[in-house]
Amino acid sequence: MFTTGFKFYFGLAAALVLSAVIYGYATGGEHVGPITWGWKGGVGEHIGYTMLMASGVVASAISFVIVAFRDADPSAQAHYLGVDEIVPTATVTGSYWPVVGAFGAGVGLLGLVLTPVLFVGGIVICSLAAIEWMMDAWADRATGDAEANAALRDRVMAPFEIPVAGTLAVGVIVLAGSRIFLNASKNGAVFWAGLIAILIFGIGVLYAAKPKMNRNIIAGLVLTCGLAVIAGGVVAGVDGEREFHPHEPHGEDHGDDHAEDDHSE
Amino acid sequence: MTMTESPPSEAAESTEPEAAVPGTGLYDALTTSDHKAIGRIWLRVGLLLLTGVAVLGVPVALEATSADSVDVFDGANAAWQMNGLYNVALVLLVVPALTIGLATIVVPMQVGSSNIAFPRAAAAAAWGFVVGAAIMIVSVFAGGGWGALDGVRGEEADAIELTLLGMGMVAASILLACICLATTVVSLRTPGMGLMKTPLFAWSVLVSASVWILTLPVLIANLIIIVVDLRGGPLVFGNPEASTMIYDQVHWILEQPAVFVLGIPVLGIIGSIVPVVAGTRHVAHAGLMAAIGAAGLLAVGGWSQPAFSDQREELLFVAFGLLAVVPVLATLGLNSLTLAKAGVPAGLPPAQLLGALGAGLLLLLATGAGALRVIAPLDLIGTDADAAVGRLVAFAALVGLVAGMWFWASKIGGHALSNAAGLGVMLDFIGAGVLMGAAHLLIGFDFDGGLNETMAWIVFVGAILAVIGAVGVVASVASARRSDADPGDDPWNGHTLEWATTTPVPPENFVGALARVTSEAPLLDAAEQGDSDEEGAPS
Repeated sequence: MFTTGFKFYFGLAAALVLSAVIYGYATGGEHVGPITWGWKGGVGEHIGYTMLMASGVVASAISFVIVAFRDADPSAQAHYLGVDEIVPTATVTGSYWPVVGAFGAGVGLLGLVLTPVLFVGGIVICSLAAIEWMMDAWADRATGDAEANAALRDRVMAPFEIPVAGTLAVGVIVLAGSRIFLNASKNGAVFWAGLIAILIFGIGVLYAAKPKMNRNIIAGLVLTCGLAVIAGGVVAGVDGEREFHPHEPHGEDHGDDHAEDDHSE
Repeated sequence: MTMTESPPSEAAESTEPEAAVPGTGLYDALTTSDHKAIGRIWLRVGLLLLTGVAVLGVPVALEATSADSVDVFDGANAAWQMNGLYNVALVLLVVPALTIGLATIVVPMQVGSSNIAFPRAAAAAAWGFVVGAAIMIVSVFAGGGWGALDGVRGEEADAIELTLLGMGMVAASILLACICLATTVVSLRTPGMGLMKTPLFAWSVLVSASVWILTLPVLIANLIIIVVDLRGGPLVFGNPEASTMIYDQVHWILEQPAVFVLGIPVLGIIGSIVPVVAGTRHVAHAGLMAAIGAAGLLAVGGWSQPAFSDQREELLFVAFGLLAVVPVLATLGLNSLTLAKAGVPAGLPPAQLLGALGAGLLLLLATGAGALRVIAPLDLIGTDADAAVGRLVAFAALVGLVAGMWFWASKIGGHALSNAAGLGVMLDFIGAGVLMGAAHLLIGFDFDGGLNETMAWIVFVGAILAVIGAVGVVASVASARRSDADPGDDPWNGHTLEWATTTPVPPENFVGALARVTSEAPLLDAAEQGDSDEEGAPS
């Protein structure tokens, strides 16, 4: 009756809404504000509450669309094909998620020592890997046809994967870039900023020119970047940030603006 | 209605599963769930680590020759940390990576399974090991390690925490791989293959995986305690910032009895190679299984942690040390009887036989040195004799694993490895192990008259031999990959199921259903049945 896609998105929606309510109360929500979307009382910190609650509503909408149209449902597909039952296959297909999970665990360990942001990032990556891993395991056994299984999996997971992957990609670039800038000298930071910008632009141009790039090249890029982030994180984290020398305020007009600068050129 | 892009006719036609074509690119390596590809990841990482660790061993040994005049690492503290990295990496990175790699490829085929149990978990274990090893090694070079001789200060603490966490991730990855391997042997054996009919290598992997499963959680708990102590002050057991306390808390994993677990798969490799070279059954398959099981029992070592309570003069520790020789002797004796039954083959021995016997000899020396070490009046504990046992076991494992790589080469990579190169590599590693082990043991006895200095130089020579051996293995593998020669499906007339499949091995390992197994040597059974049918056939 309830399809796997519905269960996944409905569960996700419930978790997100619950998180939003808890987050609302934890950040100063009053009365029943976090439960009533702010109708009777404050919701606490607005940005986080809105993002969590909005994501929950979107996940809930997707879950109802999936169950209403019986999308990505093996039994419905069997009915459509005119057969009583599609024999499941025992073959386990290839998957990126074991290596992503291992990388996430590594990032989490780095964060445990270096910075809580990395630790939370590692937990997020591991959680995503666990979710995707479960869905892969379900899809592998959904029907007897590997291509149909892959299509079923993509139909369920693509609405979840694309926004999350985009957010993560931007987040990782911002976070990794900031660590490098803080560790490098003033001129070095300018150099790194230019190099990262050229890399992003270059990869974008390359991908636009060759949308069907050899998957081994993509895998190589991902692996190299991942290992570089880990090794760079260890070295930069242990080495620490460069020294910042606070300026003495020259007068009342300057206030605390530009109160610190570095002298590590 | 159902949203689908496949018209019914096409979709209906595609419900029959098709055999996937295995890829060999980086994408396939990263996403694979095939046990052979996962095993090759472990082996490649293991060979890379072997080369790196062997190279590191040279300056470490040089530093030990004359601490006052030679200062390779810029200070006693750095030298001590690099020595720690060499010891830990040899025992916890190199040997486990090669062992798990070989086992992940061979064991599912030996037990007649189409894949390893929990293939994605096995892949996660391989990649977790890579990430953990990278964190551990990079952090040691960034100033971490297992403590500091002059006390842990400032940023050193962060790097040391990373070393410990990386080591924990390595241990957790080995644990996960062991669970996959043990489950494969227990649950995925082909019909008719009872546990007592399990091939000896698969059995030895089950035993060693079980020992790791009992041991590694203890190590992980140790590491967590140290990190808690390091971060929150001396909360649990003491102040880890004081000199060598961290190393003291974890070095039990590098000592007997725990370190003997590295030798258990070697016993299985010997047991797999000898009857095939001899062309006959083992004289006592059940006896060998019992010996390997006993070796496993005597390698459970989480209980022996001198940093917390020194049991090294208690009866149990002494008994474990003395008894460890017995299963190794039994294994070598029973294999010798098998060889003797068939007669010694003429000419140059196959490299894998030389390696198997050499590994057995090194393991016997290791357990022998361990037995000497537990005899209290000799006062060897806490001396270089600790390193002697560790080196001998590690090199026994290396020689055995390299012998296994030569034996199963066609099933691992689809190519045969050169016998001449194999003989050279095995002799080289055996020499390195004997030199390093014996020299460390003699240093442990602390004889007068400058012998220690001479022995330290002998260790240095052994370290150089280890580098030559590591480069030799890598060069042999690289050379074989360029060869077009067809190794054949069963180049040795093997006895167990991995030789029943084609070379290169297809994705599901076996095409069609396997016949019911009736003994530990199903292919020998089939050959004997064929011979008797021919004899009974009318002329």
